[in-house]
Amino acid sequence: MPVSRRDFMKVFGMSVASLLLTRCRFPIGVTCYAPLPPTALPDSARGRLRLCWLSFDELAQKTTEEASRGSTENTLGQQLAADHRAALDELVASGELTPSIADLTQEAYAAAVYHVWRSNAPMTCYEPMIVDYAPTSAGVLVQQVEALSQAASQGSIDPQTLAKAQASIEHDMAYYALSDADVQALYERLISDWQETGQNAPSFEAVELELTPDAKAAAQFIVDLLTGK
Amino acid sequence: MTAKPRLLSLIVEVTQRCNHACLHCYNVWHGGEYPRGELDTSRTLSLLAKALAESDCSHVTLTGGEPLLRPDLPAILDFLHARGVRVTVISNGRLLDEATTRDLLRRGVGLFELPLLGDRREVHDALSGAPGAWDAVLAAMANIRTLRGQFVAVFVATRFNIDRLYETIKLAFAFGARGLMLNRFNPGGRGRAHIEELLPTAEQVRQALEVADAAAEEFGLPISCSIPIQPCLIDTRPFKKLGFGFCAAGSERAYYTLDPLGNLRPCNHTDTILGNLFEEPFAALIARERMADFVRAIPAFCAECARRLECQGGCKAAAQVCYGSLTAEEPFLRQRV
Repeated sequence: MPVSRRDFMKVFGMSVASLLLTRCRFPIGVTCYAPLPPTALPDSARGRLRLCWLSFDELAQKTTEEASRGSTENTLGQQLAADHRAALDELVASGELTPSIADLTQEAYAAAVYHVWRSNAPMTCYEPMIVDYAPTSAGVLVQQVEALSQAASQGSIDPQTLAKAQASIEHDMAYYALSDADVQALYERLISDWQETGQNAPSFEAVELELTPDAKAAAQFIVDLLTGK
Repeated sequence: MTAKPRLLSLIVEVTQRCNHACLHCYNVWHGGEYPRGELDTSRTLSLLAKALAESDCSHVTLTGGEPLLRPDLPAILDFLHARGVRVTVISNGRLLDEATTRDLLRRGVGLFELPLLGDRREVHDALSGAPGAWDAVLAAMANIRTLRGQFVAVFVATRFNIDRLYETIKLAFAFGARGLMLNRFNPGGRGRAHIEELLPTAEQVRQALEVADAAAEEFGLPISCSIPIQPCLIDTRPFKKLGFGFCAAGSERAYYTLDPLGNLRPCNHTDTILGNLFEEPFAALIARERMADFVRAIPAFCAECARRLECQGGCKAAAQVCYGSLTAEEPFLRQRV
C-alpha cells in the first residue's frame, strides 16, 4: 500500500518523538528528567528547531499536569509548533531549505506534538496511527465506477444496493476535492473516531513506502538536525 | 512456567446454526459424529477469557455457522474490544443490514469476510442453497463500504462458477472489496456429498489462476489462495500477483479453531478435537506431542517430493474428513494421475 508524503512525514515525526521520549525514560546517563541548569535560547534557527524537538519531555510533563487540573488545552504544544514553523521560515528565507521540505518537516513536527500530547492526556487510550482513509487513488475510483456501471448495465443488481455503492464511490471521489485544511480536519476527526472504537491501524512495518525526493530530504533534514550534523 | 503460545489468529466458531445451506460448506459438524450445541453468553465469554489469558493472541476471527445468528454477538464483540483484540467476522452477509453493520463496526469489527460466488444471482444462490443470498451479500458490501468498514470477498472455485471468475472479481472490486480470497473448493462437511459435482479439475484451477493473476494486476486487488494448491498439480510460480499458502498447522500461523462448546481443533477444516479448553490449558492442548500426528501426516505419494515439507500433500484435514485418514491423498490431489 503506497503511503503519501504527508502520512510518511507524520509517522516519521511520531517515531522520532517516541524515540526521544523513550530515551528520556530510561536511566542511560543523564536523563531529561534530571535537573538541568537553565539554558539560554539558542541564537540560530537550527538551534531553536533542535530545541523544539528536544522539548517533548517537557510537553509530556506539562500535558500531564494540565490534565490533573482538568484541562485538555495544548498551549505548550501550539507554542512549540509555532516556534518550529518560525525557525523553518528563517531557514527558507536564508535559502537553506526549500519551502516544500520545510512544509513536510513541519508536518512531521506537528504530528509528533499531537502524538506526545494525546499520549499524555488521559482522555482515551491512544496509539500512533496513520488513518488509512484515502482510497488507493482517484484512478482506482474511476476504474470502480466503470466496473460498477458495467455490472449495473446487466440490470440484475438491486437498484437500492446499486445506488448505495455508487454513492460510496462518489463520496470517496469527493475526498480528492478537499483542501489541505479540510483533509487535516477530517483526519483529526477520524483519529478521534478510531480511538473511540479502539481499532488498530496497520503497523508501520507493513506499509510499503514510496517516497518522493522531497519527503526523503525532509526526513534526512530532521535526522541531521537531531544528530547535530 | 510454560510460556503462552503465540498465535497470529484464533478462529472461534460461535454457533453451528446457519441460515444458508452452501453446497461447498466444510463445517465439520455436517454429517458426522461431531458434538453439537453451543454455550450460553456467560460460558462463551468465560471460554474466550481463558483462551486469551492462556495465549498471546491479538486477533480473533468469529465464524460459524452464521455468527450473526447469535443474539449475543454484540456482547462477544464488546468483550473482545475491551481487551484490545482485533476482530474479523466471517458471514454470509444475509443479516448485515445497515443498522447491524453500523453496530458491528462500532463494536470493533475490523474486517468482514463475505462470499461472492458469482456475478450472477442464480449461481451464487444455488451454491449458497438460499434464494436471495446474492442480493443480500451485495447489499452487505454496499453497507460496509458506505459506513467506512472493510471487507474481503471470498470466491470458492467450483466447477459451477469457475468460468465466471473474472466477472466476479470485477464485481467485488466495483463494490470496494479490499481483497479477494480465491479458494478452490476444499471438500469437507456438507461438501463431501458434492465432490463429483463441484470439485474443479487441476486444469480448470490453473486457468482460473491465470485469470486471477491478470485481474489482480488490472484492478490492483490483492488476491490470495489460502487453500493449498499442490505444486505437482499446478506450477504456481508464474502467478506473481497471487499469494499462495500451505497448511500452517502447529505453527504460530496456525488457524487453531475453538468450536461453540470449547473444543479446540488444529484448524477449521479438521474434525480432530485436541481437547476442551475448559478442561485443559491452551498450551497443553496444542503441545507438540498432541499435534504431532497432525503435523507429521503426509501422503505416501509425497514421500520423495522435494517440496513435501512445504506442501504437505495439500489439505490433510480434507483427506481426513473425506477418507478417514490424515495420510490419505486429499480429493484435489487425487487428480494427479
